[in-house]
Amino acid sequence: MIQLTDVSRTVHTGAGPLTILHPTTLGIARGQVVAITGPSGSGKSTLLGLIAGLDAPTSGRIEVDGESITSRSEEQLARLRGEKIGIVFQFFHLLPSLTAFENILVPMEIAGAADAHARAKQLVADVGLSDRAHHYPSQLSGGEQQRVALARALANNPPVLLADEPTGNLDSATGRQVIELLVAVGRRHGRTLVLVTHDPDLAALADEVIALRDGRVVERRPVRS
Amino acid sequence: MRFVLRMAWRETRASWLRLVFFFVCVALGVAAIVVLRSVVQNVRETLTREARQIVGADVVVQSPRPWTREILGTVDRLTADSGVLARTEVIETRTMAASVPGGDSGKGRVKLVELRGVEDAFPFYGAISLEGGQAYSSRLLENHGTLVPPEFLAEMGLAVGDTVRLGGTPFTVRGVVREDRVQRGGGGFAFGPRLYVSLGDLRGLGLLGFGSSATYQIYLRIEESAITGLTTRLRSAFEQQTVSVRSWRAFEDRLGRNLTTAENYLSLVGFAMVVLGGIGVWSVTRVIVQQKVKSVAILKCLGASSRAVLGTYVTVVLWLASAGSALGLGLALAVVRAVPAAVLQPLGITAITVTVSAAAQGVLVGLLVSLLFALVPLLEMRRVKPLLLLRADTAGSARKPDRASRLAGAATAAALMLVAVWQAGSVRAGVYVSLGLGASALLLMLAARLLVWMTSRLAASRVFAVRHAIISLARPGNQTRVILIAVGLGAFFVISIRSIQANLLAEFTAQIGQTSPDLVLIDIQRDQVQGVDTATRPYVLEPIRTMPLMRARVVGVDGRRARLPTPDAVRQQGRLTREFGVTYRDHLQPNETVVAGDFWAAALPAAPEPDVDTEVSISEEVKRDADVDVGDLVRLDVAGQVIRTRVTSIRRVAWDETQNGGFFFVLRPAPVIDRLPHAFVGFLRTGDDPATRAGVQRAVVDGFPNVSAIDVRAVVASIRSVLDNITLGVTIVGAITLMSGVLILVGAVAMTKFQRVYETAIYRTLGASARLVAATVAVEYGVLGLLAGIVASVGALGLSWAIARFLLEIPWRPEPGILVAGAAGTAALVCTVGVLASVDVLLRKPLGALRETS
Repeated sequence: MIQLTDVSRTVHTGAGPLTILHPTTLGIARGQVVAITGPSGSGKSTLLGLIAGLDAPTSGRIEVDGESITSRSEEQLARLRGEKIGIVFQFFHLLPSLTAFENILVPMEIAGAADAHARAKQLVADVGLSDRAHHYPSQLSGGEQQRVALARALANNPPVLLADEPTGNLDSATGRQVIELLVAVGRRHGRTLVLVTHDPDLAALADEVIALRDGRVVERRPVRS
Repeated sequence: MRFVLRMAWRETRASWLRLVFFFVCVALGVAAIVVLRSVVQNVRETLTREARQIVGADVVVQSPRPWTREILGTVDRLTADSGVLARTEVIETRTMAASVPGGDSGKGRVKLVELRGVEDAFPFYGAISLEGGQAYSSRLLENHGTLVPPEFLAEMGLAVGDTVRLGGTPFTVRGVVREDRVQRGGGGFAFGPRLYVSLGDLRGLGLLGFGSSATYQIYLRIEESAITGLTTRLRSAFEQQTVSVRSWRAFEDRLGRNLTTAENYLSLVGFAMVVLGGIGVWSVTRVIVQQKVKSVAILKCLGASSRAVLGTYVTVVLWLASAGSALGLGLALAVVRAVPAAVLQPLGITAITVTVSAAAQGVLVGLLVSLLFALVPLLEMRRVKPLLLLRADTAGSARKPDRASRLAGAATAAALMLVAVWQAGSVRAGVYVSLGLGASALLLMLAARLLVWMTSRLAASRVFAVRHAIISLARPGNQTRVILIAVGLGAFFVISIRSIQANLLAEFTAQIGQTSPDLVLIDIQRDQVQGVDTATRPYVLEPIRTMPLMRARVVGVDGRRARLPTPDAVRQQGRLTREFGVTYRDHLQPNETVVAGDFWAAALPAAPEPDVDTEVSISEEVKRDADVDVGDLVRLDVAGQVIRTRVTSIRRVAWDETQNGGFFFVLRPAPVIDRLPHAFVGFLRTGDDPATRAGVQRAVVDGFPNVSAIDVRAVVASIRSVLDNITLGVTIVGAITLMSGVLILVGAVAMTKFQRVYETAIYRTLGASARLVAATVAVEYGVLGLLAGIVASVGALGLSWAIARFLLEIPWRPEPGILVAGAAGTAALVCTVGVLASVDVLLRKPLGALRETS
C-alpha cells in the first residue's frame, strides 16, 4: 500500500545541510496498522509528512496505493490527499471559524461528494459527538477536538490514515480513548494506518512497530497480541 | 465552485465584524462619488433642459456699446429672410436705487442694482414668476413700474406699491419676482439685485451716456432649422467688432463640456477617498492572511487546491466590497434626501436624484478598488505550504514577496491608475492624481518610519506605560504605518485647507488695509467730477480720488517687429484682441516704474506729430506678448473713434497693489482726449461706519443719479462669505477623509485585538492595574496620533506654501497656531478613539482571555 524506496530528506540550515532522514526503504501492506516510534528529532514526523505528500523527499521514490507521489505538483498532491489520505495531527488543526460538523464536511465538499451531509452526520455519531456537532472548536475539549479531527480524516473514506502524535496533546485517559477509536475505525474498514507516537503503550496497539533514531530505521518488529 | 462559495460564506460569517470597518471606508468613498456625480448630472440635466430659457432666446446679439446704424443695418439685412419669428431689444445697466425720502419706511436707503429694460415681447423663453400668484405682464412696467426681487424689498424696507427712485426718477414697485428663469447664466457677476423696468423708461433715465456701463441686446426668436446658419452668419459679420452672438445650442454644448469636466474632477475626490478605504482593505487583508495561514494549510492538507483557497478569500472580499458599495449607495440616497432645497437653489436645481450612471460608477469603483487592494496580500495564500502543520518553521518562507507578487503589485498599481483615469475622464488628471496619492502615501510612510525610529529611544523609558506603548508601536503585525497614512492623510487635508484659508483671509485683510477705498463710484461724467467731490466732502476722510476710464481695442500696430496693419491682422495674431481699460494722466502711480523710454511729465498742448494724436505708455506685458516697443505706432478704437498713438515708454506694473490700479495702456493727456467718450471712477475713504457710507451713497444718488457706488466693504464681506463657504465645503470633504482615517483606526485596533487581549491578560496576571494598562494604550495611541498630526502639519506647511506661492501668488504665512492645533487635535482624536475601541479588552477577566487564546 505504501512503498518508500531509498527516500531521504536533507534540509539546509545556517550551519550547513542537515539530513533528517537517511535513505530509507520500507513497505507497509494494505490494512496494516504500523506505529512509528522514536525519540524527539528522530525523523518520525518527517517520514509521515513525506508519506502524506506534505513534504518532498530529497531523493528516492514514494508510492501510495500504487501511485508515485514524488513527481507530483502541489495541486496534484492536494487532490491525492483529498481522495486517499486522511491525516490526524497532534494539535488537531481544526478550522476555528467552522463548527465541528462543518469541519467534517470540508473534505467532502472539496471532493464534491454527493452525500456529504448524511455522511458527516454518520461520522459525527461514530465519534460520539452528535450533541456537540454545532459547537466551534474553541467550545470543545481537547479529546472532543481530536475526535472531530478523526472524523474529518475519515470523511472521504481514504484507504490510508496517518496520525502524528494524535494523543500528544491529551491526558492519558482521553488519549487512550482516542487511539483505541482510531485503531478500531482503521481496522474496521481495512485501512492502512500509520501512527507516529513515542508512547510504547499506544504503539503496542499496532500490528508492527518501526523504530527510528537519528533519521534511520533501527528496528522493525511485529507486535505480539 | 460550490465549495468556494460555502467556504467564503463561512469565513465571512466568522470575520465580518473585523472587516466591516474597512468596507465602511469604501462605502464613504462610494457615497462621495455617487453624490457628487449625481449632483453634477442633475445640474446638467436641468440646465440642458433649460438652455433656451437660460440664453433667453434662440439667438442673442449683444454689444457693450449703443447700437450704431451700421450694426443695426447688418442685423436687419441678415435676419430679413432667415426665419426670424420675433425680435425684441433689452438693455441692462447698473444704477443706484434709493427709497424715496419722506416715505414711511426705508428712509434714506440706497443700493446698487442691475436694471433690465425690456419691451412687450419679452421674454421669448423662460418665465418670470411673481409672488402672490400674480402673472407677469409688460403692463406692470408701464408708466414707471418696476418688478423687484424679495431681498431688495427687504433691504430697502419697501413693500409693493411703494416708490423707489431709479436714476433719479420715481418708480412704483408693482410686483415681487419670486423666480427669474430668463437668462440666468448670461449676465456674469452681478453687482446687485436685478430690477425690471420698461425699455422706454430706462432710455429716459439718462443712464446711457458716454462711457457708461451698459449691455445692449437684441433677442431673436427663430425657426429651429435656421438657428445655426444665422448664428454663423452674424458671427462672421461682427467678427471685427465688439458685438457678440450667442445661440442656446452653442451654450448647451459649452455647458455640457464644462459640466463633464466638473463632474470628473469632483469624482476624483471620491476616488481618493475610496483609495484611502482601499489602503484599509489592503491592511486588513494582510493581517487576515497572516492569521489564516494555518487554516489555508489545513484546507490544502484536506485536498483543497490553491485556486480554491484563493477563490474563497477573493469571494469574501467581493461580498464585503459589494456590501460596502451597497452601503455607500444607501448613504448617498440618504444624503441627497437630506440636502435642503436652499443649498441647491444656487445650482439651479430643487432636488437631487441619484442617477443610474452615478450609482453604477460608484459601485464599480468600490468593487474594483477593494478587489485590487486585497489581491496582492491574498496572493500570498498561494504559497502557504501544508507542511507547516507538521513543522511550524516552514511558515516563514511564505512571507517573502516573490516575482509573481511583485508583478501583481505592479499590475494592481497600473489598474488603479486606469480607474483614476476613467474617473477623471482625462489621462493627465488621472495619472497626476494617482501619482500624487502614491507620492503622498510614500512620503507619509517614510516620515512615519522615521518618526517611529526616533521614538524608539523612548522604549528605554523608566515609565512603564511609555516603555510598553513604544514597544507596542513596533510589535509584529502592527498597524502603525496604516494608521499613520490613513489618519495622516485626513488630518493633512483638514490642516492644509485651514492654513490656506487663513493665508487668503490675511492677504485680504492686508489688501483692504489703511489706504484702500471704502467706496468706489463709477460712471462719473466729466462735468460731474467737481460736483461729486463737493457732495461727498462732508463724509470722507480725504477728498475723492478720481481716475478717467475708457474702453479701447487695438485696431492696428505699426512697429519695428510687430506689424498689424488692420483690425483683422490684430485679431489673427490674437495677443491684443480683448477690450482694454485705458486711462490718461501726467504722472506715474506708486506701483509703476519705467523700464524703457521716458514717461511724460505734462499734458501735450497739441498733437505731437502730423499722423499721431498722442503718446502712450505700455506695460511690459504688452511688449513681451505682442512685441510692441518704444517708437511703435498703435491705433486704438475708443468707443468707435480711432486714435493714433506712439509708444514712448514701457512700464513695469506691480499688479498686486490693486489700490493704485493697473493699466496696460496709459495715454498722455492731449487735445484728442476731449473727443473721446469716457467717464471717471472715484475712490472714497469713509471709515468703518456704515451710516457714513450710506450717507455718501445717498448724497451721490440725490445729486448724480447716473453715478453708481460700489461698497467695497460689502463686496469684501461677500467674497469672504464665498470663501467661507468654499472652505466649509472642502473642509467637509477633508473631515470625511479624516473620518475614513478614524474608521481605519478603529478597524486596526479591532485587528490587533486578539494579540492585545493576550498581552493585557498577561499584564494583569503579572499585577498591572487596569488603569496602568489603559494608560499604556492611551500613550500608544496618543503618540501615534501625535506622529500622524506632525506628519500632517509638516505636509500642510509645504502644501500651503506651494499653493500661496505658485497658485494664489500671495505672500505665505506659516500659521503656526493652526499647525500646532492640528497636530494636538489629531493626537487627542486618535488617543480617544484608540482607548474607546480598546475598552472591552481592558475589562476582560485575565483567566478567560488566557484560556481562550491558548
